[in-house]
Amino acid sequence: MSWRPVKAVVGRELSKLFRQRARLVSAMVRPMIWLLVIGSGVGSMLEGQQQEGYLTFLVPGILAMTLLFASLLSALTLVYDKEFGVMRMMMIAPIAHYWIVLSKLIAATLTAMVQAILLLLLLVILGLIDINIALGLLPAALLTSICCAAIGGLIAVWSKSIDNFAVIMNFFIFPVFFLSGALYPVKQLPDYLHYIVAVNPFSYGVDLLKHAVPNVNTDFSVTTDIVVLISFSTIAILIACWRFSRESVHEPLFHRATKR
Amino acid sequence: MLTAYVVSDFAIKTRGLTKQYGQTVAVNELDLEIKIGQFYGLLGPNGAGKSTTIHMLTTMTTATSGEAWIADQLVSADPVVIRGTVGLVFQDSALDRTMTIDENLQFAAAMYNLPPQIADKRIDELLSVFGLQEKRNVKLLALSGGQRRAVDIARGVLHRPKVLFLDEPTIGLDLANRRAIWRFVEQLRRNEGMTVFLTTHYLEEAAACDHVDFIQHGKLQQGGAPHELIEQLGAYVLEINTADPENIAAQLTPLFGDPIREDQQLSFKISASDFNFSELQKTLGDAVSSMQWRRPNLNDVYLWTFCSPEQGEAV
Repeated sequence: MSWRPVKAVVGRELSKLFRQRARLVSAMVRPMIWLLVIGSGVGSMLEGQQQEGYLTFLVPGILAMTLLFASLLSALTLVYDKEFGVMRMMMIAPIAHYWIVLSKLIAATLTAMVQAILLLLLLVILGLIDINIALGLLPAALLTSICCAAIGGLIAVWSKSIDNFAVIMNFFIFPVFFLSGALYPVKQLPDYLHYIVAVNPFSYGVDLLKHAVPNVNTDFSVTTDIVVLISFSTIAILIACWRFSRESVHEPLFHRATKR
Repeated sequence: MLTAYVVSDFAIKTRGLTKQYGQTVAVNELDLEIKIGQFYGLLGPNGAGKSTTIHMLTTMTTATSGEAWIADQLVSADPVVIRGTVGLVFQDSALDRTMTIDENLQFAAAMYNLPPQIADKRIDELLSVFGLQEKRNVKLLALSGGQRRAVDIARGVLHRPKVLFLDEPTIGLDLANRRAIWRFVEQLRRNEGMTVFLTTHYLEEAAACDHVDFIQHGKLQQGGAPHELIEQLGAYVLEINTADPENIAAQLTPLFGDPIREDQQLSFKISASDFNFSELQKTLGDAVSSMQWRRPNLNDVYLWTFCSPEQGEAV
């Protein structure tokens, strides 16, 4: 197995990211709105010191959100490419089919990291965080990004078409984001939500990012975060690869009778 | 003397190749032997199993039963090796419309692990065949259907496959583009000895094949060389338009065999090359509104294979 096909898939995704300026800009605007609007809005309900604290508290959560959206959307190009036929070009190539999934997930991780770096740069320029904190966030961001790509991979190999996109937004992205401790400390949540947060792998990414920011309360230990993120990602990626290698997944691509 | 092992001269070979989707048998016990360098055509109506056959031979789908070999390699043994040996131009486009020709072909070349310099040279050659060098950095969206098809075909042969599969490559294209594509396929066969497996609806195109077979309901019907099949069909095809097809059919069937009937038109096969048509014209007289005879072509072979009264059903 040579790396050239993997590099081609990754290169294609990255060049698309930079070509679609609107996507890149919106990926920067969305977290800034959250940070400044929600941060200030909710923060205004808090008092003095707490007010500033909430903004700092939100930074890891907002960064995690950027990673989640970026990774997941990028992983979902597995479905887009199927819909628009480009997947055929990859399927007929002399590589094992699971490499298509792996390449796409590497691409998803990298596209998310590019956006995370841009966001952190913006936050540093705006004076919202210190450059050292920004650098400290990067390793945690990488693990979170892999985890989000893995979630995206799982969703993608089970999606028949991009018509499901709204469903994916409502049933995956929003719950995964809101039930993660990105916006509020997990400890204060009611018990039943607490359990949901605990089974959400994304929570551990958010938590790991919080560890990188001083004076922010965390819910799990760094070790727990890393172990959960790595084991979840590994298992999810293996399942995604296995599922994608089963040809019944691709029959609609080739066989008209099995089309929806 | 015999060598220790014999490498066969078949590019494609299948034994009892079968594909079932649930209760539907898409391809039924297919036995094929296609020699290296042959231009092979598989003809049949929509849904007959042509694409499924191609997809089984190119590892895009696995056979329910039976075996297939491409260039002496068992298809089921190592799909990755088979995919490196074959080229496939899908019926539907496999390109990214938002990328340029160059980006698409560079991407495809990388998927075949071709180094960029070699890819660059081949893309150049292929685009010049289709007169698309000028458009190399144009997005696919801005190209015509025929140009896009040409890029699709270029993509299929970038890695110089031993066996090229073309699934309805010229569907929806105008004559000029179709001609360009056939000239190119001919060139590939001549220069590289490529074996070409074609499915098409345009039967005049299949006339250039070395061998054609017919497939219907997943079952293969042995064909042959197009010119031989045409000769075997008869010396002439007689087409009669009449208000009273029943009567004319009853009158002529004892002479020529059962006709193919489409509405008010009857088509008969005439075997005798010295048949006297003017005599027949006199006999039929006013009962027919028009009558013409001509040399048969591959269309007639196709029609008689699939619509003839012995077949018992229309396409």
